[in-house]
Amino acid sequence: MTIADGPALPKLIGERVKRREDPRLIQGQATYVDDIKLPGMLHLAFKRSDIAHGVIRSIDTSAAAAMEGVELVITGAELAEHLGPMPIGTPFPAPDHFSVATDKVRYVGEPVAVVVAEDRYIARDAADAIEVEYDELPAVVDPEAAMEADSATLHEGFERNIAVESYWGGTGVNPETAQPEDDSAVDAAFAEADVVVSQRMLNQRLAPNAMEPRGVVAQYEPGREYLTVWSATQNPHILRTLVAAMMGLGEHQVRAVAPEVGGGFGCKINIYGEEYVAAALSRLVKAPVKWIEDRTEAFLTTTHGRDLLGYIDLAAKSDGTITGLKARIIADIGAYEVLLTAMIPTLTGLMMNGVYRLPVVRHELTEVFTNKTPTDAYRGAGRPEGLYFLERAVDMVARELDMDPAEIRRKNFVPADEFPFATQSGLVYDSGNYEPCLDKALEVADWQGLLAERDAARAEGRIVGVGLSFYVEVCGLGPSAVVPTGGWEHSGVTVERGGKVTATTGASPHGQGNETTFAQMLADHFSIPLEDITILHGDTGVVKQGIGTFGSRSQAVGGAALISAAGKAGDKMKQFAAALMTDQEVSPEDLVFEDGRIQVEGAPEVSKTFAEVADYAYVPVPLPPGMEPGVSEEAFFEPENNTYPFGCHISMVEVDRDTGETKLLKLIAVDDCGNVINPLIVDGQVHGGLAQGIGQAMFEEVVYDEDGQPVTASFMDYVMPRAADLPVFELDRTVTPTPINPLGAKGVGEAGTIGSTPCVVNAAVDALAPFGVTHIEMPLRPERMWRLINEGGQS
Amino acid sequence: MEIKGEQEFNGPRELLYELLLDPDVLAGALPGVERFEEVGPETYESTMRVGIASVRGTYTGRVEVLEQAPPEAYRLRIDGSGKPGGVRADATVELSENGSGTTMHYRAEVKARGTIARLGGRLLGGVARLLIGQFFKSIEQQVDDRAA
Repeated sequence: MTIADGPALPKLIGERVKRREDPRLIQGQATYVDDIKLPGMLHLAFKRSDIAHGVIRSIDTSAAAAMEGVELVITGAELAEHLGPMPIGTPFPAPDHFSVATDKVRYVGEPVAVVVAEDRYIARDAADAIEVEYDELPAVVDPEAAMEADSATLHEGFERNIAVESYWGGTGVNPETAQPEDDSAVDAAFAEADVVVSQRMLNQRLAPNAMEPRGVVAQYEPGREYLTVWSATQNPHILRTLVAAMMGLGEHQVRAVAPEVGGGFGCKINIYGEEYVAAALSRLVKAPVKWIEDRTEAFLTTTHGRDLLGYIDLAAKSDGTITGLKARIIADIGAYEVLLTAMIPTLTGLMMNGVYRLPVVRHELTEVFTNKTPTDAYRGAGRPEGLYFLERAVDMVARELDMDPAEIRRKNFVPADEFPFATQSGLVYDSGNYEPCLDKALEVADWQGLLAERDAARAEGRIVGVGLSFYVEVCGLGPSAVVPTGGWEHSGVTVERGGKVTATTGASPHGQGNETTFAQMLADHFSIPLEDITILHGDTGVVKQGIGTFGSRSQAVGGAALISAAGKAGDKMKQFAAALMTDQEVSPEDLVFEDGRIQVEGAPEVSKTFAEVADYAYVPVPLPPGMEPGVSEEAFFEPENNTYPFGCHISMVEVDRDTGETKLLKLIAVDDCGNVINPLIVDGQVHGGLAQGIGQAMFEEVVYDEDGQPVTASFMDYVMPRAADLPVFELDRTVTPTPINPLGAKGVGEAGTIGSTPCVVNAAVDALAPFGVTHIEMPLRPERMWRLINEGGQS
Repeated sequence: MEIKGEQEFNGPRELLYELLLDPDVLAGALPGVERFEEVGPETYESTMRVGIASVRGTYTGRVEVLEQAPPEAYRLRIDGSGKPGGVRADATVELSENGSGTTMHYRAEVKARGTIARLGGRLLGGVARLLIGQFFKSIEQQVDDRAA
């Protein structure tokens, strides 16, 4: 058979290919959890505590149960017969935490009873009709006061509300023993320093605010003894594992599906009580059940992020050489430990080495329970907090020494020839080349020009400042040794009849664009059109194994698994192709994929089409000796280390003298995430990250009153950044590939939230420096800024 | 949050004091009251309907009158709850003669929970002022009626 030559296919890796998933997402053609409607489906509503701390005295469900359309009303104590305490994913000690409170409530929003009803409205009305009486206890709101001996305590066995305490310090972690060395050197470094800056800083509590709130549909089929759970989750495979365990089922009896998921930002890593409850109640009422979170519930019950208080001391010589760091961190983790709660603040200290050679470090961490919503990962998860503390402190040293903020960083950089670089905290940075990135950022921003512009504005009486930050972060989580769920990723690649390709990935996306980037990679690998490739994800019934999407791991770990599976599938395609060309004495090793054909390298006339070979693979007559029919391969990828992307952000702000309002005039981000598959998607990830990082610096904050009542539980009160608040970002890149995976890609999903926050605050402090201001707490609220302009000092 | 203010009335303070603690007068004067009954010594239970924005709903509550010092002062302890949440308030009322009539000084420390708390000072203060204003207008009317 002669096949006409197809058009030459351009290489797609590195191209700005538009996201293939967007048309359906923006045209209402996508299926989210709430779009799932099953016959006979019932609806859940949760009765939630409206007090922060108290013992449940009584729950009267009679009025609710008597309402028409109500199938079941069940309290936490009754539900505990069906569901045990929830599992967590960290090795730290944790108090029991039931999906629905059994005897005591510890934060506003904690569920105390559940209604199953015919529709959402009846369920909600019935939940409102449940009467709960509490013996109120004093609310614990301030984490420092929580550690005082006279504070009320949340959990038995956790005295002074302390969940986790850790300490390490010295001149480096001994890799043999993993123990910190003698830390008298820390005190010596501070005693000998020419300059020491000390600052208390709050990295405030944030609400993740995914555009789609949480939601779950659970269907237990008693006949098959099989449970299917659809959930707005970042990691359906982890959901399957944990729901199976909670339900007393094997993983072979549970299918978990993450349909379209409208953003996660870390808050959809945790497997929540509502997911377990839906599964358990579906089994109990013998019908599918649905629960969809409303926005107020999201503010009250979806995990919060950040909330770290840092006491930071940084020592330096008069020439700007940093000689030591002390960090005492208090993490307000809220009322309970959920999946990764206790682990997140540990990342803060691990990453506080930053991009610098730090001779000595002392790090103390205390995680404290308070009567607030539990915390867990939020975009950056521990690193934004650490880098904020560090980059603020470095800036303060520069100001103290009257040094240029760029030059103090340059002076202390880990030099390019010292990678892989072992940090004080025991991490090994895979690769890095910081100086060219700094230089590029200074050039793109026209740093000297910016400073001149600022000075000219000041001369006119305007309040303008410029700021800079340089971050390094950790991406590509695993390896398995450090990720409790396992740190690998899985992928399957099937060449279908007709030469089309279906691939699966365990890195379940919720905005990362894997359907596009992964297809680009396969299009180049097999030299076939992008349209011939489908990427499936998010369904444990389809994707055999997986871990999920968090820690900027999709490309660095998931992409590496994909390429590995593609390699195996490609090898088999070549074997079939060679078998089809036996008369031409072709060996598989001689073959390459080229423009829809499999050909002898450099000899396009000796070839078969990709489609032809695929068809042969499924009707293999004759079957080549030693081969199985078909082409469907899979691979696991286990990274040997994390990846450490980095970048430099520069900003310029202006503060209104009369109103105190801060306006972000410029933001320049030069990020290095290694090799880039799709620059458009990377830019998009950086844009979103910057908006959230700037949101923390300027607008966002979860606030509780002294009784533990949340006062920011709607978009009227919790200020999100809007498009009009943001300038046109100026983005650029340097490329330092990682040796950790075959793609050389490091990860970029969280970069924007890590560099931008200290960068913007540094600019704001620079703006107010003429007023004697040395530090400003986030967010940069107009009232706070106005006071500083008029009263000086610190906020 | 703290709610406080003062209000001038035309009548003598003895009359005002009496009116302010008369269950029948209160039942008529409190906006949206559907029930106001004495359930014990100086203790009342009431059902109130509030029709304002997101605190709309029916509230049931208990009012205790404490530390009476006629005709100068008394203290109230109020505990109410409804679908949008609840409030607990500790209020003091002081009456003083001002020559032509009576000046009332009131101060309440209000602790809210549920939606009401989340709305915080943004809405709660306004709602409270509106309801208190309606209440005073009604009491003023009664004072004028009695004084006339």
